[in-house]
Order: sequence, then structure tokens, then C-alpha cells
Amino acid sequence: MKSPTATLSLPLTRFRLRPIRIAEFSFLVFLIAAMGLPLLFLLTGSFNLAAPGKPAVYGFDNWLRAFTDPGTLNALWMSFLLSVVRLIPAMILSVLFAWLIARTDMPGGKWIESICWIAYFVPDFPLVLAWILLLDPNFGFLNTLVKSLPFVDGALFNPYSFWGIVWVHTSTGGIWFKVMLLVPVFRRLGATLEEAARVAGANTTTMLWRITLPVLAPMILAVSVLSFIRGLQSFNTELLLGTPSGIYVYSTKIYDFLHREPRAYGEATALGSVFLVVLAILLYFYWRYLSGDKKFTVVTGQGYSTMRVKLGNWRYAALAGCLFYVAVMMFLPLTFLIIGSFMRRYGFFNITSPFTLNHWYNMLADPIFLVALKNSLIIATVTAIGGILLYSAIAYLLVSRRTITAPLLESLCWIPHVLPGILLSLSVLWLFLATPLRYFVYGTVWGIAFALILADSPVTTQAFKAGLLQLGADLEESARVSGASWTYTYRRILLPLLAPIAAAVGLMNFGSALTSISTPVLLYSHQSRPLAILLLEYSFTGELERAAALGLLVTLIIGAMMLIGRKLGLQFIRE
Amino acid sequence: MERLLVFVAIIVLGGFGTGWSQTKVSEKDWAAAVEGAKKEGKVVVFGSPDPVMRNDVIPKFTARYGIAIEFIAGRASQFVSRVETERASGIYTVDVYLAGPDTSANELYKDKFIDPLKPHLAMPEVVDGSKWKTGKVWFADPQDQFIVRAFNSVASWLFINTEHVKPDEVRHIKDLLNPKWRGKISAEDPTTTGAGANMAARIHSQLGEEFVKNLYVDQKTVRTRERRQMTDWLARGTQPICLNCREDDVRPLVKEGFKILEIFEIGGMPSTVNGSPWMLSLANKAPHPKAAQVFANWILSKEGLESYAKGYGSASLRTDIDESYLNPGNIPKKGVKYFDDTDWKWIVGGRHESREKMWKVLKTG
Repeated sequence: MKSPTATLSLPLTRFRLRPIRIAEFSFLVFLIAAMGLPLLFLLTGSFNLAAPGKPAVYGFDNWLRAFTDPGTLNALWMSFLLSVVRLIPAMILSVLFAWLIARTDMPGGKWIESICWIAYFVPDFPLVLAWILLLDPNFGFLNTLVKSLPFVDGALFNPYSFWGIVWVHTSTGGIWFKVMLLVPVFRRLGATLEEAARVAGANTTTMLWRITLPVLAPMILAVSVLSFIRGLQSFNTELLLGTPSGIYVYSTKIYDFLHREPRAYGEATALGSVFLVVLAILLYFYWRYLSGDKKFTVVTGQGYSTMRVKLGNWRYAALAGCLFYVAVMMFLPLTFLIIGSFMRRYGFFNITSPFTLNHWYNMLADPIFLVALKNSLIIATVTAIGGILLYSAIAYLLVSRRTITAPLLESLCWIPHVLPGILLSLSVLWLFLATPLRYFVYGTVWGIAFALILADSPVTTQAFKAGLLQLGADLEESARVSGASWTYTYRRILLPLLAPIAAAVGLMNFGSALTSISTPVLLYSHQSRPLAILLLEYSFTGELERAAALGLLVTLIIGAMMLIGRKLGLQFIRE
Repeated sequence: MERLLVFVAIIVLGGFGTGWSQTKVSEKDWAAAVEGAKKEGKVVVFGSPDPVMRNDVIPKFTARYGIAIEFIAGRASQFVSRVETERASGIYTVDVYLAGPDTSANELYKDKFIDPLKPHLAMPEVVDGSKWKTGKVWFADPQDQFIVRAFNSVASWLFINTEHVKPDEVRHIKDLLNPKWRGKISAEDPTTTGAGANMAARIHSQLGEEFVKNLYVDQKTVRTRERRQMTDWLARGTQPICLNCREDDVRPLVKEGFKILEIFEIGGMPSTVNGSPWMLSLANKAPHPKAAQVFANWILSKEGLESYAKGYGSASLRTDIDESYLNPGNIPKKGVKYFDDTDWKWIVGGRHESREKMWKVLKTG
């Protein structure tokens, strides 16, 4: 039996002081400049009471106005409630899905995983509208269906309610993102520990509870923190389903200040600071949990087995459960979305000749479309590769106990997760315009990719960090004893072992870059306009069907990228 | 006194001089501007996301002058932030703004982002006063120089689905308070800036706090921030009375045979005119000043304004545009006194005050 030896003290134990310090301080300076300073500007700006362009006058009025605005505290409470209520079942389901896909012999796991990937990138706005078509108390398809039953009187479902929002969220954001991040680390687990537990008489549930989950705690906790804050910031679904029933969330308040005329960025930043406080509290507990005598290493140089847990006949029941969930939460609304993109008016089946190819045709014939597609593909590719290179290196430094600024480095990496997208975009705009970068990247696809790489830092860094925590120190030590240089070791041993995570976050960042609107909105020019801005224009002007077609096209591109990845040999990362 | 007389004389002569030079040399100026613009090659226009610009204006203008339009679209608050940050760094990327009245008056004008446009009007059919219903190009700003208002349409008060609501049932604004319509009225969320808040501010300024509370709170008016949602509710009859639906959203539904009626006049409130869809201004320190001049003139020409008038169903101020395609209700009637929702004083002061008061009522109500 191989014991889970190593600890947080990872590969760099024998690293010479100088290179690590140079790397550490280089990254620190970069992150301070790219993330710390803009945050400082924003916070300072939130105390500036003067009108734009006028000499600064400092005071607390913006903060007072923000927090005394009627409804702010109620909205904060509602966001908290929604976030918690969504998070708990979603995390349980995500861990279960990831475990079934990566650690058991459930058939079709790869397909379920692929579906999760595609589901994550289906645009949420038309998907929410699809749920409205299904659940609306007056005309919803499912309500109409159940009303025809003899024992049902009135509508059973109502999307314009607290539970309606929770349900739709489970479909749009729900478990997909979490499964995507968890599956690679579950795969890395290896079967050694589970075999040992089985020999000791543990059943499958005990094994999962006592072995698998504790060892994978860094990633599960990181995903929980990411999801909780993401839940607090959630906005689109609440806007469509909450406003009609008077449910306002905290992000709606921030949005209001951001879009008020004249602008009220000071108030928006003041409200946004709550996310910073929440993050600080969560990070404190996260770090406290990871520190101490915890063991998370699952990949060592002493042998590695990927044998899966055998579920027996339960594997078909598990597959049926997964398929049922996917069918209800994804395929049902997705079907409506696909149909919607071919309808003259989304959801109106009773008009004359309701179906048309015009939206697809008009979208493809739009002269801006091809340029935007090219721009988006460049931006997404650069973002994916750039994010992998940058954050794998930073994560490498973070897991090393030789870095003296790890908490600061990690905190800086979290910043984009607590800044509303438009404020992040504004801060990157300041960064560009205040430095020589303005001459090279402002208004270009490279500038947008740079901003998106910054925006991806929390997820990417945490994913790599969790992956690195699983690797034993003996791997690198063996390589060094055999005479390998650090670069060689990194390239031939660490990187291949990190490949599953790199592929996962790379694809995720590729997809996010294709769909992100708030980050490029202040940075694009006519020449560098990406598809997401085109999507914004379609949505803003009520061209919903064309937006649905474009959203589906983006989903298809991401699906194609996954297939290409597999064809090119990325399947080695799967087993 | 003498000094005052001299000052007045200078102003008067200066005014005559400007007018004279505009009409006399405009054709020559125009030809020179077009030549200069072609050399610059492109014009950068900032505005709201706009299918008419994308599908109609850009192809037409480029075909006519061989000058490319780079259209940067975004929400007003976002693009003003961007321009402000650029300018603070000495970067000037924008030539022309097509913005709403709030942004034009309270941001672009107030922050001195724009140049006088009047001296740059040179296209013969634009400077010809007979082509304008107002006898000349209408400048909305107090200096009569900076911001052109090219449209003056009667705004609808509300839309009804006549399969559910008879026109006779909503003749007076107070009819909306009939308990029969509780939960049956939809509106753009008035608690954030936008058309919903603008209408609620008007109601507040003219009918007071109590009426606002009765209409938006007691009547359980269903709020949304997604304009498509309101239009769909109207068509399906879920909320058959819509306060802030848009004419260009509803028109396709009427063509499909939905029984939707646009109501322009309602008892108890004066009818409203506005300058939608945009107001025109020229950026100062524009990177392509000649191209900006040519675009600004062209967009005010028959060809330019017609695209927008047809695309948005708005009544332009030009006399030579066919208005037969418009809903007759959109065209202001002579002798009727309208409330001008794009009036400068209202935009820079009255609306803001009423909006703040109305928010207080709705957010605490």
C-alpha cells in the first residue's frame, strides 16, 4: 500500500533562493500593478465626491448613500439566501457527478462530462427565457400540461419566485461549472487510497466520505468559495425572474449604480466592497483548513493506479440518474432555445408560419460577424494559453512554502472575482491608459485577451493550486537525483501531470473569453469587436432570436474545440 | 450703456455674418469637407447598440462617400466612462456622438466633451431652412450651438391588447387605477434609470406622489427591465396594458395580427413629444474632424434621417421625408400643446428632481 506521503511542502524545497525570489517578486509586481492598484484606485475613487473631471473632494457620502439606499440590506440578505440555498444541493450534486464520472465504472461518464461542458457555455439569457416558456403560470408549457390533469387546479410552477429562481439557476449555472473543475482532480486521485480503504473493510460510502472528499478538500473548498461569491454576484436570472415579483438582489443594486445617469461608480464600489469582506472571511477559513497537518498528495513516485470503484448494478441506476438530471435541467430548456433560434418570434407558436431560417441567415450575413468571429477566436486562444502559462507558474509558487508572499499573491489573484465585470474593465482601461501599454494593446484583441486573462485568475490559479497540492515531492526529487534540470522536470513530469487541469481550465477560459461581455466592453474598438459584443448589441436591441442563434453558435464552437482537443490527443489526460 | 450697445451690435453683426457665410459658402465648404473627409478615410461614431446603424446607415454612408464608419456601441454610462478615461489620458478616439438627451445634456455637454456643431453645418440640404419643420436645424442646448435634435415624435402613453382591454376602458389616466387592472399593467422598472423612471418622474411631477404610489405599488404593476418581456406579456395578454413598450418592438406584432393599440392621448395628462432615438453632437479634439463633419451633415440629410425615421418609426423634423409609413399618432398636431420630454430644462433639472422624489416613494413604498 502506498501512503499519502507528501504535504504542502512541495517540489521547490531544494530550489535555489535566487530564481524563486526573482520569480516571486516579478509576479508580485505584475499582480500588484494589474490587480492591486486598480482596486486601490477604485476604492480611493469611491471616497471622491467631486463630479468627474473636477478636483477631488473626499468624504463618506458615496458609501452612506450606497448603504442607506432603501432596499440595499434586503437585497444583500436575499442574495445571501439565494446563494446558500443554491450552493448546498449544487455542491452535493457536483461532487456526486464528478465522483461518478471520474472514480466509478458508471458507463457514459465521458459523455456526461462533455454535456456538462457544453451546458456551461449555453448562453443563460435565452435559457432563462426558455424556462419562462416552460414554467410561466399563465402560458408555461409544463403548467398547461399539468393543468390538464384532473386533480390539478391552477398552475403548479412559478418561475417568478424565490424557488423559481433557485430552480432556473440550477439549470443555467448549477452544477456544470463545478463538475468541470472537480472531475480533473477526482481523476488525479488514483485508486491507491480507495484500495487501502477497501482492504480495511470500508464500503463505498465510507470510502467517499472518509477518504475521497477529505483528500480532495482543497479543490472542493475552492470551488465552494468561487461558487458562493459567484452566487452573490449573480444577476441575469434575478433580473428576468425577480423583478416582476419584486425580488431584488444585491447585484441589481450595484448594477443600478453602475448604469445610473450620471454614473455612480463610487456607490457601486462601496457596495462591491462587501464581496471583498466576504472573500476575506472565506479565504481565512480556507487557508486555515489547508494549513496544519493536512495531507492532500495523491500522486507520488511510488506507483499510481487509476482503477475505478465498481458499482455493480448500481452503475446503471447512477447513469439513469445523471441522464434524468441532464435531460430535465439542460435538454428540456435547450430544446426550446434551439427551436427559438428558428422561430420568427421566440415562443410564439400560434403566429402564421412561426419558423424561419432568417435569424441564422442574417447573423451569418452580418458583415461584422466574420470579423467578430475571427477576433473572438484569437482572443479566446490567447486567453486560454496565456492563462495556463501565467497561473500554473503562480500556483506553483503558491504551493511552495519557500515563497514569503504567498498570502498576498493569492489574495491578489482573487481580486477579479470580487469586482463587478464593468469595474474590472474600467480598472484595466486605467492600467492601459496610464502606462505605455496604451500604444500597443489598447483597442486591440491583445488588450482584450490581457484583460480576460486577468479576469480568469481566481478559477485558474485555484485549479492549478489544487492540482499541484496533489503531487508528491518525490516526483521532482527523483528527477533531480537522475540529473534532470528543473525546466526538464517541470516540462516532462509536472506539466503532463497537470495536463488534465490545464486542459480543463484552458477550455473553460476559452469558452468564457467567447462569452464575456462586461470585460471587453470598455476595451474593444471597431477592429477588435468580439462576438460577445455583437451578442450584447442583439440583446440590447431586442433581437432575441438572433442572440439565441449567436449564443448557440458559440456553444457549437466550444463543443468543436472539445472534440478537436480529443482528436489531437488530449485523451491522455482522461485516464 | 455705450459698451452694451457696442456689444449688442457685435453680437448682431456677428450673427448675421455667420448666417451669411453659412448660406453663401456652404456648397464650397461642403465640397472641401468631403474631400478632406475622404482623405481621413473613416469616422468613429459612439452610440447605443443600433440595428439601423449596423444594417442601413453604415452601408449607405460608405457607399456614398467611400468613408468607413467605425461604430462603437455600448450603454451610455459605459461609453461615457470610457471617453472620460481616454480624455484624462490625452486620448481622443471619438468623432461623433449619437446619444440620448440625458447623456448629451448631463454628460457630454456638461463635461465639455463636444464642440459647437452649428458652424460645421454645410451640406446644402441641411442648411436650407425650408427643409426643416422648425425653419432651421433645431439645437437643443441653451447656446443653440452644440446638440442637434433631429426628431420630434409624439410618444405613446401606453399600449393595450384590445382582446383584453377595450380602448374606452383607459381614456383617462385615472382609469389605470381601476382595481380591474390590478396586476394587469406592466412597466419598465421605474426604480432604475431608463424609460420607466422617466415616465414615472413625469407622472410624479404632474400628478404627485400619491398617484405614483397608487399606480406602481397599489395596482401591483408588474415591473421588468427586459423590454422584450413586456412586449411578450402584452401580446399574450398576461399584462395587457403596457406603459413602456416601444413602438419598434410592437410594430412586428401588429403586423403578425396581434390586436395591439398604441395610445398617444390620455385624459388627465398632456401628450408628450420627444427627440428619440438620438441627439447629435460632435466630439471636440476629434481625430477625424472632416469625416465627422461630413457624417454629421449626412445623417441630418434626407437620406440619413429617413433611415432612422423608418427604422424606429420616429417623426423627423425634416419636411422632405415621407411620413406615410408612420403611425399618424406619432406626428405632432398643430395647435396642440405637448409636454416636451426632451426639453433642456426638464432634462438637466426637473426630471432629476422628480425622479429622486419618485424613487423615494417607490423604494420605501
